[in-house]
Amino acid sequence: MGFSVWVVMSGLMMIGMAVGFLMHRSDFCMAGAFRDVFLFRSYRLIRPLVLLASLSALLFELCRIADLLPVYPFPWFAPPAGVNIVGGVVFGLGMVMAGGCVVGVLYKMGAGNLLSLIAFTGLLVGSALYAEIHSWWLSLLRLTAFPTSAVTVPQLFGGSSTVLVLTGAAVGGLCCWRWRRDGLWVDRNAAEGFIPLWITATGLAVLGVLTVLLCGIPMGVTTSYAKGAALLESWLAPGHLATLPYFTATPVQHTLPLDGILRSGGAGPNFDVVAILQLPLILGIIGGSWLSAQLLDEFRVVWKVPFNQGSMAFAGGIIMALGSRMSPGCNVWHLWGGVPQLTMQSLLFVGGLLPGAWLGGKILQRVLAPATSSQRS
Amino acid sequence: MKSMKMDIRGQICPSSLLLVLREVNRLHRELKAGQLCMTILTDNRAATGTIPEAVSNMGINANVAKLDGYYRITIHKQGD
Repeated sequence: MGFSVWVVMSGLMMIGMAVGFLMHRSDFCMAGAFRDVFLFRSYRLIRPLVLLASLSALLFELCRIADLLPVYPFPWFAPPAGVNIVGGVVFGLGMVMAGGCVVGVLYKMGAGNLLSLIAFTGLLVGSALYAEIHSWWLSLLRLTAFPTSAVTVPQLFGGSSTVLVLTGAAVGGLCCWRWRRDGLWVDRNAAEGFIPLWITATGLAVLGVLTVLLCGIPMGVTTSYAKGAALLESWLAPGHLATLPYFTATPVQHTLPLDGILRSGGAGPNFDVVAILQLPLILGIIGGSWLSAQLLDEFRVVWKVPFNQGSMAFAGGIIMALGSRMSPGCNVWHLWGGVPQLTMQSLLFVGGLLPGAWLGGKILQRVLAPATSSQRS
Repeated sequence: MKSMKMDIRGQICPSSLLLVLREVNRLHRELKAGQLCMTILTDNRAATGTIPEAVSNMGINANVAKLDGYYRITIHKQGD
């Protein structure tokens, strides 16, 4: 492992720790943001997401103008296809059932939550299942591909990205300002060490930009879940693994800004560029959340959880993993990287998240509400 | 006054809020009349904000206290 790889992995580990710490302190739940709009008519968690996306759009565009982004739009995003929205629906359903998105599961798990560990297990299983349908899904993707080579909305219309991106950021910023004027950023959370959601959203936007400057690509974690599944499968059924194109191909290529070396990678159980970029973030988020919980003396593992909630978390993890592979990409990748650049894949994904979260909320209400652990005294 | 305890430690949102709201709705009359006090034990940090906010919208008071690594939310009639 070269020095530049070591620097990138160490930097990403520190960024991941900061992300995990902030998310735990604020309970910054992206799944809850979409879910609560439908389940409780609450917009409390969606506001910081608007701030995160708007501020990220502004900062990414400023970096692009300053020639600090080596590749525009961000690497690994592709022209849109109709199935992107299907992936968003499946992902939205899964994240609500799992009780957290792909990053939410990590920070809750880091603080000792068993249900999130169960959802994480589901994510590995779902990633393995996707490998079985990958070829079929690819054919659907080709079938529903939009007749354009444009990746972003500005590319589609042939104009400057600055005007469109900054207009979007300004509209988001105006909403945030109005919410501040109306006192809607005030949070009644009484948890010790609570960090207001707007501060965490601002911090996450800055950390997202630092990630891009360090490694030339926005945050993402889910292909590494597939790598984890592939690693397990390589021990349990190595013969079958060798027949799965999803785990044997290395379709991803990336050049780290630090050393300019082109590396390839994929979902297979190898230490490649995907592992370099995602593994430190995953470990950092878990570690940062664990540190935050330890400092507050709140790290506890409650082993006895309701069966219906455990089943729901496991099923949600499986469905969420399928959605992230089908999209392709997770909510963090799209909301924190693609949407700020007006990437069409990401906009379709978010369009799918909404009905998915609505459906997930309906299922949650039916399955969870009847059970209770109350006792009178 | 009667008392009722719900131990929902280990559970995350939205189940924490859904379960508490279901019980508060069921026992709303007793809570409003000051005949019942509910105690919720939770380690879900978000619940320390969402549960008090939801019950206060129903005209019921909630206090939060940190215990040994978790939180106790006491739900009772306003003014008690």
